[in-house]
Amino acid sequence: MLLPTALIPCWYSMISHVERQVNLNSHDFHSKLQYEIENTTKFLHPINSSATNLARVLKLSLNGTKLSFSMIETKVAPPLFQAWSTIPYLSQISYTGLEGLFFSYYTGQNQTLAVYSNSSYNSRSSAPNVKKNFNCYIQHVNHETGELYGNSIECPPLNLVSKRWFQEALNSTNGYASLEIGWNNSQDLTLLSSARINGEGVISLGFSAKVLTARFTSIDRQGGSLYLATKDGKVLIEELKDTHMVLTGNMVSVQLKKPNGEQKVLGNVSCIIKDGSPRASTLNIQGTEYMLYCSSLDMVGVQLVYVLAFPQKGLVSLVRKNRTVALALLIVIITSMVVSILSFAYIFIRAAKREMHLCAALIKQMEATQQAERKSMNKSLAFASASHDVRASLAGLTGLIEMCYEEANPGSELETNLRQMDTCAKDLLGLLNSILDTSKMEAGKMQLEEEEFDLAQLLEDVVDLYHPIGIKKGVDVVLDPYDGSAIKFSQVKGDRGKLKQILCNLLSNAVKFTCEGHVTVRTWVRKPSLQNSIIASNRNGLMKYLQCLFHKSNEAYNDLEAMNAAQQDPNAMEFVFEVDDTGKGIPKEKQMSVFENYVQVKETALGQGGTGLGLGIVQSLVRLMHGDISIVDKEMGEKGTCFRFNVILSTCENVSCNIAKAEDLEMVDGSHTPELILSTPSPGLWLHTPSSKLTVHTTPSPKVTTSHVVLLIQNKERRRTSQRFMENLRIKVSVAKQWEHLPSTLQKIKHKENHSRHNSSGKSDLSSPSGCLSRSASNNSSGVEKDVPLSSMDGSDYILSIFKRTTPKFASSFILIVIDASAGPFLELCRIVAEFKKGLHNATCKVVWLEKPMMRNIDFKHIEEDLVDPNDVVISKPFHGSRLYQVVRLLPEFGGTLQGNSSKLKEEIKFQAEKVPKDPSSSRSKPRSPPSNGIPPKEQEIQEIGNSNDEKPLSGKKLLVADDNVLLRKLTIASLLKLGATAETCVNGQEALDLVCKGLSDQRKLGASKILPYNYVLMDCEMPVMNGYEATKQIRKMEKSYGVHIPIIALTAHTSGGEANVAIEAGMDVHLGKPLKKEHLLEAIRYIDTK
Amino acid sequence: MERNQMRRQLALMRQSFFDQGFLDEQFIQLEELQDDANPNFVEEVVTLYYRDSSRLILNIDQALERNPLDFNKLDNYMHQFKGSSTSIGAKKVKAECTQFREYCKAGNSEGCMRTFQQLKKEYAILKRKLEAYFQQARQAGPLETACRSRN
Repeated sequence: MLLPTALIPCWYSMISHVERQVNLNSHDFHSKLQYEIENTTKFLHPINSSATNLARVLKLSLNGTKLSFSMIETKVAPPLFQAWSTIPYLSQISYTGLEGLFFSYYTGQNQTLAVYSNSSYNSRSSAPNVKKNFNCYIQHVNHETGELYGNSIECPPLNLVSKRWFQEALNSTNGYASLEIGWNNSQDLTLLSSARINGEGVISLGFSAKVLTARFTSIDRQGGSLYLATKDGKVLIEELKDTHMVLTGNMVSVQLKKPNGEQKVLGNVSCIIKDGSPRASTLNIQGTEYMLYCSSLDMVGVQLVYVLAFPQKGLVSLVRKNRTVALALLIVIITSMVVSILSFAYIFIRAAKREMHLCAALIKQMEATQQAERKSMNKSLAFASASHDVRASLAGLTGLIEMCYEEANPGSELETNLRQMDTCAKDLLGLLNSILDTSKMEAGKMQLEEEEFDLAQLLEDVVDLYHPIGIKKGVDVVLDPYDGSAIKFSQVKGDRGKLKQILCNLLSNAVKFTCEGHVTVRTWVRKPSLQNSIIASNRNGLMKYLQCLFHKSNEAYNDLEAMNAAQQDPNAMEFVFEVDDTGKGIPKEKQMSVFENYVQVKETALGQGGTGLGLGIVQSLVRLMHGDISIVDKEMGEKGTCFRFNVILSTCENVSCNIAKAEDLEMVDGSHTPELILSTPSPGLWLHTPSSKLTVHTTPSPKVTTSHVVLLIQNKERRRTSQRFMENLRIKVSVAKQWEHLPSTLQKIKHKENHSRHNSSGKSDLSSPSGCLSRSASNNSSGVEKDVPLSSMDGSDYILSIFKRTTPKFASSFILIVIDASAGPFLELCRIVAEFKKGLHNATCKVVWLEKPMMRNIDFKHIEEDLVDPNDVVISKPFHGSRLYQVVRLLPEFGGTLQGNSSKLKEEIKFQAEKVPKDPSSSRSKPRSPPSNGIPPKEQEIQEIGNSNDEKPLSGKKLLVADDNVLLRKLTIASLLKLGATAETCVNGQEALDLVCKGLSDQRKLGASKILPYNYVLMDCEMPVMNGYEATKQIRKMEKSYGVHIPIIALTAHTSGGEANVAIEAGMDVHLGKPLKKEHLLEAIRYIDTK
Repeated sequence: MERNQMRRQLALMRQSFFDQGFLDEQFIQLEELQDDANPNFVEEVVTLYYRDSSRLILNIDQALERNPLDFNKLDNYMHQFKGSSTSIGAKKVKAECTQFREYCKAGNSEGCMRTFQQLKKEYAILKRKLEAYFQQARQAGPLETACRSRN
């Protein structure tokens, strides 16, 4: 900014200086020109006086004589000629007498001519009518001598005397000068200088104006124009085009001549001379600036005025124009510069501002981040410590439960409850661990805990866990055995807990978001495909490699190696799980985001709660197991969502082989009694029969009878899966969708059976002709092959491999009816079945009732004996997994027995059903036990209670109860009496003390001081008069002298540990909470006794 | 037959006490203590409880009228009352007692008042219900009602 402000004045002054100089120069030039003009005039100056000089000379020579023409010719003409020859620029010279005599030389047609008039006016005035007076003659003049020669030509007389200049000259002494017209033929303007001679004549010298002015015009004026005029306005030179100058006084007015003759005044030029030089005035004439200088000069005695006009186009105007242009340019440049600087500054400021904003935001953000991190860290710490504490107390709980478990009577309800408690506690512990694992996972430190486990069992557990919840909502949770491959490879090695967590999460989601229909879980196994493993390795491997690169951590590398090893493990199998529900479903566009943490699909999650963490954890876990999870697209019109994930687990083929072999050996040993098979606690053990052995079993011997299964299950999905499973086992299956359809279905079967009976020998069950059987067998097998879809043929192999087909001893056809007890009115169903049985001659029939857990809708008591077969089996729902396999095993070809020895079998099933863990309902479902068969349950219970009654652990003991509350006292006494003890009571500590004191002294009197007066004292802590603590202290003090220690049990209603400590400090042995519980008391006593 | 009907009703009634949360397992313990030797043990205990507790309630009522409240004393009373209530398994009353004691500890007199009103209400409800129950039990028959209906 400073530079331009400094530069501009500098530049401006420079330009002004130049302009001044230029102006000066031009001014100089102009004045020079003027000077030259004046000089020129000065050169002409001597001419001025020539006329008077000549007149003086002539006057002397004439001497005042009266001139006649002849005298003139002789006396005047020669000096005239001399003057003519000597004076320069002379164009004419004349002598004019008053009388009219006249003689003159002049130049005409490049010759010197003389014109004269030889007659005087006087004579003429006397005789004015004489024409002769007018004579005037022209004669040629000899150049050298001045003599006239040739003919004189008569010409009109020049009446010079009457002319004004003549009179003026005659009257003035110094001569007179004027501009007249010459008397040659061309009538040129002539400057006439005249002087009188003796008052009689006038000498006049005429100078051609043309010649004189040529002197001026010949001056180099450099484009300047000259205007020359006499004071009385006769123009001599007018060089400016189309202009006309009029002299008025001292002013020259410049007029513009227009083509149409009009004149327009452009301006005036003053001719007053100041300071010796004429003033310049500027006029615009026809678009050109002119500088006009006006001045006067004297030429041949004539006063002249000249005007010099210089156009302004020269240097000055150039400079002036350039100056303005340059100034404009400069201003433009400066303004643009200023503008650009300003805009730049503006932009810069804005950028700076923004940067500052950003900086502030960044700082804020960073602070927030730090705070969040701090918070998160604190939270994690608190969380970890809290989890640790919770875990510690949980560990205590599980330990206690285990202790109790050992002491509980096996088979009692207590034991079941304890087991369930144990399971729950362990689940809780697992959950806690998984929460800790979530944070571990976030830190990337999650590790798989490989262990061997039974996948089928796990699946069933999980499904059973959610079944009751589902049932409550009206949703059936179905475990689809699918192709049975998962059952075959059930014994696997992998992370059980995490797999369970995944399944639980998905299932709970499915159940939560499904209002009607069903949730299906299906699993199958396939060889790990190359593609999948590549994807898995890419996903995890790349990260791991990066970790290796960056951290060079050995651990990570080991991990990677382990992973690779796992993938190369020949035993590794890919397990695919599907959780399929008929709920609301997830919108397609949201499907990608549901796996992100904290994302919930709003429309569906509304009012369902949850953190939205579940699926994120699930995904992390699945990826940890080298698998992936996705949502499978359902077909159009199908409701719900189907989550599918795959994990890689290694199967324990070898182990199962061994077990299977052992099994086989046992089997071969003979006596493959159904009891033996059924008592195997876990069905999973059977599932791994190697296929080589399998073929032996599965080869359908011609003697095999086929069984027929009738299914009446309400839920469509369950019906479908069960039917398919059985069909894959080559079992003939009929289905009834509703209970109303049951009779017709049964009727059809009966008809068929009875029809095939045509060859049989009466009612002998045990020996059916082989021909008939083989035929039916072949019929069946072909039928099955037709029915089973091609794709599931592989599956049927799997399923077949699960169960050993045996050739039953009893070769009669077997009909198994599986009825959902809640499908219809129970009595009605019973009646239908009973009727069917009645009409059956050749076949054995068995009924399996599926009972709803918790709700006992089968009340056998109200049903008459003949309607219900005591051999019927009651199984609690859900009908899948192990329960399904149990039912399948009822079939003779899978090891089932026939009617004859079924009672034991039933017991076994009952036992199995109760054994199913994680299903609280199953343990309660006590199958009906008819009185004819075994011990009635009531009796057993009585036995159990009787045992405890008989014990009377405190019989013979004497206790002192000190309590101020009558109610509690009564209760305690009652409890003690129940335990067989005798008790004394007192209402406060003082009394208790007295009683103990008395007792002790009595004992001493009897001489048995070592025998305690009371085996135990139950002491309430807070009592009036003397509280329990004080009393205890007193007793302790007193008993010392007797050398005994009476066990004192404190009773408080406080649950906190502080009271207990106070009690122990006071000298009490044990502390128990109120109200007194039998078990606690016994435990306390046991504790005291062992001490 | 009629007796059976009555017995079933009685069992239902008893079950409803548990289902609605009036009583907890302590009551079952009480029932277990009842045998041939003292056949009306439960009823006796309950009667005793009501006799005992009505005195306590009176005490608390008086203590609550005092201004400022003696929270220590109130807590003491309530401790006794809670002990009694726990011993017969009066679950809801016990819960109110706990609440009361918490208010006591916090020194919230308004909460104490409110809770005590609620407590009295629960107490009265339970009393009415149990009276009805024992009435019916007497009608149903002396020995069979020994609540052997536990499964």
